[in-house]
Amino acid sequence: MSTGLSVYRGGDSFVHRLNPVTKLAFVAAVVIAAFGVDSLWWPALLFAALVLPGALWAGVGRRFVLLVFGLIAPFLVILFLLQGLTYPDPGTVLLELGPLAVKTEGLLFAGTTALRLLVMVGAFVLLLLTTDPGTLMSAMQQAGLPPKIAYVVAATMQIVPSFQARANAILQAQQARGMDTSAGGALARGRRLIPLMGPLLLGALTDVENRSIAMESRAFGAATRPTALTVVPDSAAQRAARWAMILAAVAAVALNTLGVL
Amino acid sequence: MIVFEDFTYAYPTGSAPVLRGIDLVVEEGGFHGVVGASGAGKSTLAMAVAGFIPHAQGGEYAGRVAVGGAVVADTPLPELVTRVGLVQQNPFDQISGARFTVREEIAFGLENLGVEREEMARRVDAVMADLGIAGLADRSPYALSGGQQQVVAVASMLVMRPEVLVLDEPTSQLDPGGARMVVEALGAVRRSGVTVLLVTHALELLAEHADTLHVLVDGEIAAQGPPAETLADDRMEEWGVGRPRYTEAAARARRDGLWEADRALPATLGAAAAGFRAAVRTEGGRR
Repeated sequence: MSTGLSVYRGGDSFVHRLNPVTKLAFVAAVVIAAFGVDSLWWPALLFAALVLPGALWAGVGRRFVLLVFGLIAPFLVILFLLQGLTYPDPGTVLLELGPLAVKTEGLLFAGTTALRLLVMVGAFVLLLLTTDPGTLMSAMQQAGLPPKIAYVVAATMQIVPSFQARANAILQAQQARGMDTSAGGALARGRRLIPLMGPLLLGALTDVENRSIAMESRAFGAATRPTALTVVPDSAAQRAARWAMILAAVAAVALNTLGVL
Repeated sequence: MIVFEDFTYAYPTGSAPVLRGIDLVVEEGGFHGVVGASGAGKSTLAMAVAGFIPHAQGGEYAGRVAVGGAVVADTPLPELVTRVGLVQQNPFDQISGARFTVREEIAFGLENLGVEREEMARRVDAVMADLGIAGLADRSPYALSGGQQQVVAVASMLVMRPEVLVLDEPTSQLDPGGARMVVEALGAVRRSGVTVLLVTHALELLAEHADTLHVLVDGEIAAQGPPAETLADDRMEEWGVGRPRYTEAAARARRDGLWEADRALPATLGAAAAGFRAAVRTEGGRR
């Protein structure tokens, strides 16, 4: 099963079978460790020793690499251009390009930030590639996430593609009546898309009213404590592992702050 | 049983009442239709039964509406939804968005009511089997056709075991195949003993399936009775409701002397076919 915003790839690996909350704890732990420890090699180690092997173990390595690098490549270019050429603090100049200078410190800063981004995006992509969105939501609700927040997250994941489809339908209807959205520069094209917004937003508002009636018809928001049809398997070992991962990340940050790591 | 007693209602945004002095009794069980021209107050009547009027809409509310003995205005909405299910026009808008498979989508209402998991699973499986959608259980509700989505909406209500299922134009946005799916599902709902109140312009559908028909004209009940009689009423055109195609064809044939004068106008395809067959035999005899 997949939805428009879902990148989930089904499988039966150990990573797939983990409780989604355990995977979320892993994401939180590696992100805390990557951003909390002041070192160039630390995020690189986290990515190479934990995140990437996790993706390979789950059998989603190729898709993982494509998604991760596809997502962060534009940021990497901007990061290295900005920090590499305009690093404000004094430092070792490697190359001068008119008023701009490539400094070792700027490249180190850009490299560290890039590796941290790599860990964060990589961990999230690994979570999404190996976790069915429905199971993720069920697990989060079972872990205590309020139903209304869970609803907002789940509905967003599913409704955005439908919203895009509606926008396309309106655009096509307007194109059928002679509107040319391709001619002219970016500004002109953007201006011609403004008439799209009226029907799109009005339609969305009507939907909201109907949907709220549909939700109330199904007792959403009733005072009763909700139950769940799908129970996501969990275990004492996984619960312990979640705490261990978070504590390890906090410990790494503390040791780094004390100058040990 | 649904009871309206001298019920009048005006929306907060409008000055004139949309429904005026409605006195109506819809018997328990069976299939009941509500017809009327656009703006006659059909959807408002549906909302008044489901309780969204007055609980969600406000407005000027006079008289009394009761479902199974519970006075709608005095019953909190979360309690009322266990008595009355509502299926709206647009199948897409009725998908919760909160669940990722059809099975979970149907269970959503039961989850909110705190029904135990085993009981929930039993009820969901039973309703999917009854409505013939067990094969869709693991699919995303968003990946279904309009007809399938509407049947899922019916299932989502039916699983909550309401006494009454109100459907407001459930087939108006569907293609003929989708509409047929919904009609078949309604057959199953009817067999389960739930009272069905269907608001629709689909007169042929009501002619075939409804036990009683209520005609709304400008916010008032203008006629009610068995569909065969109500739909053949000459005033249906004047009321802006129209008549089923079969009734209209027979009326024209009668004007041309091709329909037996003493035979009632038909409301269903079967009655029309029988009437035309008889007319052909009579004509053949004369020759």
